[in-house]
Amino acid sequence: MSLADQLSAYLGRLWGRPVQVLDLTRIPGGASRETYRFDVDVDGERKGLILRRDPVGSLIDTDRRLEFLAYQSFYGRGVPAPEPVALEMAETELERPFFIMGRIDGGKAASPFTVDPYAAHAAAIGEQFFSILGAIAKADPVGLPISDVAEMPDLAACWSKELDYWAKVIETDQLHPQPIVWAAIRRLRRNPPPPAQKISVVHGDYRTGNFLHDGEGKIIAILDWEMAHLGDPMEDLGWAIDPLWGHFDPDKVGGMMARAEALAIWEQASGLKVDDKALDWWSLFNAVKGQAIWTSSAREYRDSGGKDPVLALSGWYTARRHDKIIADRLATLEGWA
Amino acid sequence: MTPTAAEVLMGNFMALVEPPPQESVGDYMSSRISVIGMNSLLASQEVEMGAAVRVWENEAMSALLAKAGAPLAASTDDLSISALDALNAKLRLALIAVHEAVEAKGDVALDREILTLYQAMADKRMLVLPVMPGS
Repeated sequence: MSLADQLSAYLGRLWGRPVQVLDLTRIPGGASRETYRFDVDVDGERKGLILRRDPVGSLIDTDRRLEFLAYQSFYGRGVPAPEPVALEMAETELERPFFIMGRIDGGKAASPFTVDPYAAHAAAIGEQFFSILGAIAKADPVGLPISDVAEMPDLAACWSKELDYWAKVIETDQLHPQPIVWAAIRRLRRNPPPPAQKISVVHGDYRTGNFLHDGEGKIIAILDWEMAHLGDPMEDLGWAIDPLWGHFDPDKVGGMMARAEALAIWEQASGLKVDDKALDWWSLFNAVKGQAIWTSSAREYRDSGGKDPVLALSGWYTARRHDKIIADRLATLEGWA
Repeated sequence: MTPTAAEVLMGNFMALVEPPPQESVGDYMSSRISVIGMNSLLASQEVEMGAAVRVWENEAMSALLAKAGAPLAASTDDLSISALDALNAKLRLALIAVHEAVEAKGDVALDREILTLYQAMADKRMLVLPVMPGS
């Protein structure tokens, strides 16, 4: 039975009506989920949907239930998140767990490896990008669906929980000793950040390339919540402004606007203050987290026989860029670079 | 520093040799081929510089280890990438241990020297993508 037939049968059982899946097409959507776009015809009515299925091998090991609950937490609440439709954890339907969400048409995502992707709309997109991130930071996670599953850390323990997790990933997956990232991990442990100002939903991968814009300066969807969790909102901010996502323009964070301007917009939208010491810590942490993801990517690439070129690019090119970012940041933090 | 250029080129072949399922042609396949192209381009850089960078890095680490009182030779007659990488792994492990000891001792001067070496190592291993304008 084809994937389209399996999907038709599943949705038919779920909705109690005959469903025809049309135009099922896989689309590029990173290496952490297989992503497909398709239409459904139900009683003559057509609707666009997205299927996100666990891959055989992945760049990161993430919980699709948390991702689904993150969409549930923000859909229709002022953050442009797609509509969550169905979550299936069993492997009997489509061989691997998956979820289905509404499709938002008419948008495009920038590749992080291009220059000036937003052109004349950069400032307008930056304004929305950091405002939306501020809104996510401002939201009280208590009562949101994601809190049913996500662990609620103590304010003072957000940093150690995340650092321990990602350091373990590197320890487990590294194929070759990495002195630069281990120097950063030791420094982060020696110099912890101040406690979080509040616990927020952390998107986990909030950056250029993970949202859709309409080409006219409007953000229409925030995507890729697969690393969502609860924690310090500074974590997302540090990731969003990481130089890796700067589109090769050192003067603009995310290829959008000056760093100071971005932080001011985030402060205004979140009602929180950017503490320099905290942001320094979370910025270095995020480069470590990135390196952990690329380390897993390289491991998975080798273990799976090299069939996914995205894993190679991540585990190689981006890993080396993050090594450079970390080495330069370590020198800067020591105050002599 | 993994995967190696040889693994990536082999992977590029593996990624293309299997016909994709019907639902994976179109945008997904276009994107996949574009990434395979980028990987081939990066592999060309790595093939050109890979051995030289490893020889340099191994010698630089060996010199620093000697200075820190933990000598480990960087010389090898085998200049294949796999042999240079095996030696590189030993030297990197030794450097990590020395760096931990330097930090514990509070030896600021040597710490700075190691961090400077890290910057040079990262610089020399950088791969470069050509400028690709956003759409």
